[in-house]
Amino acid sequence: MKPKVAFFDFAGCEGDQLQIANLEEELLTLLGQVEVVSFREVMKEHSDNYDIAFVEGSCTRLQDEDRLKQIRKNAKIVVAIGSCATIGGINSLKNYQDLDEVRKTVYGDKAYLFDTYAARPIDAIIPVDAYVHGCPIDREEFLSVIKSLLLGKKPDIPNYPVCVECKKNENVCAFERGQFCVGPVTRAGCNSCCVNEGTICWGCRGLVDNPNENSQKEVLIKYGLTVDEAIDKFKLYFGWQERKR
Amino acid sequence: MRIISKEDFADFVEALIKDKSLNVIGVKSKGDKFAFGSLESVTELRLDYDVTILPPKKYFFPQRETLVTYDLAKGFAAKSPIEAKPMVIIGVHPYDIVALLHMDEIFRETKSDPYYFEKRQASIIIGINIQKMSKWCFAPAMGCAVIDYGYELMLTDLGNRYAINIGSQKGEQLLEKYAKNVKQALARDVQLVGQKKREVMDMAQQKFDFSPEIIPELLSKSYEKSGFWEKHAEKCLACGSCVLVCPTCYCFDVKDQADLSLEYGERIRTWDGCLLEDFAKIASGENFRPTRPTRYRHRYFKKGKYLFDRFGFISCVGCGRCSSNCLPDIANPVKLFNAMYHELRNRGEQVAPAAVPEVEIQTEGNIDYVPKLATIVRKVVMTAKETLFEIKLDDGTDLNHKPGQFVELSVFGVGEAPISISSSPTKKGTFELCVRKVGSVTTRLHALNVGDKVGIRGPFGNGFDAEQLKGKDLLFIAGGLGIAPLRSLFNYVLDNRKDYGRVILLYGCKEPREMLFGEELLALTKRDDVEFKPTVDWCPENELWEGNIGVITTLIPQVNFNPETTYAIVCGPPIMYKFVITDLKSRKMPDNHIILSLERRMKCGVGKCGHCQINQIYVCKDGPVFNYSKIKGVPEAL
Repeated sequence: MKPKVAFFDFAGCEGDQLQIANLEEELLTLLGQVEVVSFREVMKEHSDNYDIAFVEGSCTRLQDEDRLKQIRKNAKIVVAIGSCATIGGINSLKNYQDLDEVRKTVYGDKAYLFDTYAARPIDAIIPVDAYVHGCPIDREEFLSVIKSLLLGKKPDIPNYPVCVECKKNENVCAFERGQFCVGPVTRAGCNSCCVNEGTICWGCRGLVDNPNENSQKEVLIKYGLTVDEAIDKFKLYFGWQERKR
Repeated sequence: MRIISKEDFADFVEALIKDKSLNVIGVKSKGDKFAFGSLESVTELRLDYDVTILPPKKYFFPQRETLVTYDLAKGFAAKSPIEAKPMVIIGVHPYDIVALLHMDEIFRETKSDPYYFEKRQASIIIGINIQKMSKWCFAPAMGCAVIDYGYELMLTDLGNRYAINIGSQKGEQLLEKYAKNVKQALARDVQLVGQKKREVMDMAQQKFDFSPEIIPELLSKSYEKSGFWEKHAEKCLACGSCVLVCPTCYCFDVKDQADLSLEYGERIRTWDGCLLEDFAKIASGENFRPTRPTRYRHRYFKKGKYLFDRFGFISCVGCGRCSSNCLPDIANPVKLFNAMYHELRNRGEQVAPAAVPEVEIQTEGNIDYVPKLATIVRKVVMTAKETLFEIKLDDGTDLNHKPGQFVELSVFGVGEAPISISSSPTKKGTFELCVRKVGSVTTRLHALNVGDKVGIRGPFGNGFDAEQLKGKDLLFIAGGLGIAPLRSLFNYVLDNRKDYGRVILLYGCKEPREMLFGEELLALTKRDDVEFKPTVDWCPENELWEGNIGVITTLIPQVNFNPETTYAIVCGPPIMYKFVITDLKSRKMPDNHIILSLERRMKCGVGKCGHCQINQIYVCKDGPVFNYSKIKGVPEAL
């Protein structure tokens, strides 16, 4: 029996599901291993009978919690996919602002119709069994997590920072190029893809388990950022995690 | 010494590149930095570089390397895919050559690593004397700025020409085959090369305030120095950059990667680093070096003390890569050792150089990373977490283990885990593993059934010395799963009962339902030649328990033993050792009568991957069985 899988989305851009839809020939091999029963981006059918639920997006309002809890009830395994679902993502930027102001900015005079609360990852609401980090997720890593689940193995999600992959890839350090990077505190697993292309790590995979945040902020300042700029570097993706710590 | 003009040298390199049977590698620019890479044209070659981002070790011990492949359909075969194309590496600085010589020793010790040496033997090293030195470099102080061996050819830039020192016959032949107009060097060229090498010795900006030969002793006096390591590691990001760029770091992790069909896959090794948080963490969650200062200290000790004691060299060549890659700037060995030196001096302590240890590297055969196929022939669920697996090697051989040894057990696609052997070697044909479900491998193993295949490597480790214990009274003390390795010796002793004196077994677990080998142990109560006392930490009200209630140490006062004739054999969770040892010592048991079996993270089983290291000791090959008198002074052991 192939496990039945379903995809769900909350507050997010659906870019992670797009990554999966774009798997191309590997998608066919994948369909040899699993049966997709619900995937809004590629099919009309829907079923509530599934084993593995992949959830994209963060939870940004109280009424979404029931839907998440229902998914948890239906599924044997819940996998958070993408930064919004795994760490709160850039949605958490709004957590630093006045939420009423945020609503007014987005919905104008209809703001009273739309409820909101601090954006949070789905594991703030329900237990999550596995994570596919990233903004967007990496297709290879998604496949690796699926393979692990099929093999009954704990997915191999690193607890070391992006620097490890950067060094293995022999990149010139972003700081040495005069740029500012949060790779030293960000969970690896992306194969340092952004730095490989000459840019920086933005932190989309969230903090490692025990980051030395103070030291990283000092480094950012030592290399030339102002205190506020250094703090902003941490706000972009780490908002929810920092608040929790 | 020979001389070649720069034009002829360029032709020489082009001729090498044209030979498609060779992989020609050289130093190229990468942004404002440099890196070794495949050469497509001699114009890419930058012999005036200061330092490369990564050392050339990546060609012998790559960032990611396949050790074993497997195919479930073909009877679950594992094969080793070794292959190496001859490499010519042009532009290696002397310190990186020294580093490779260090790596050779490390990969040769105990058992040779075939993956490393196959590539190493297929390589030709063309060195170049340093022209520019990175501001972080301290190779001159480490005696690694110039070298007279370890290369095929060594170049020195003399303006319009290169002087070439020939280091091997392979080098000589390479010149003959590919180079034109190579002349004998004149006396003035020889002199010039000497002068250039002396100039290199004065180039370093990083300087020790003392002679680096005292580093091992400096460290010896600084292990527990209060606040020192905490202060220096305060800003450590635990990013691992310092160790990942190090030319002498060799620790690795091993992982299984399955194909999407789940039928094929490979086992890879990839660089790991002792600065990373999970480096010494085992499946049960115990982390033997959990804090940044302890990991930071371990790196300096490994380089400056542990490898010195084992191999006779300080495993640092002064390239300065760690210093330049550390963003908070705390990884500079010169800065740290200078601080250590001055702190000791201010306290009035004298530090003399350590005597270089007499070292003879023992090595025997190759490491075999390919597991033997084996079949589960019996599976007995013992508790909610532990199951006993009886396993038979498919080639029909016996495991031939000693009591107390362990195997690396493979579940393909999931990985490999070290498991102690629970059965006595007197049991022939099969062996038994008592396995707790804690990590991925063991969880998956628990889902397998009789007839299913697993992979086995080993046996590994030293095991108990059953001969030395003959005629002695034996006091076995087991806590929880600690009974698993002890049972191999315990059953061996019962099978050779007349050779041993009294046999006493104290066994404790949390509650009655967690007791392992229950029926077997119950049978002991009927024997008059074995004294058996079980205990549980607590007993739930609805369960029956007639034995002792209390932690394992509450049993020790209940047995009389003669400390002069008794040996205690102890295995249990890490927390147990301290208390048991204290109680045994209060009963006058000599230190060398206490024998322990320890647990650590182990990936290779042969002292290479670095994970199981307790200070200078490798648990996988120096242990897992230790005499307490030998490890009582080893701070990380207990």
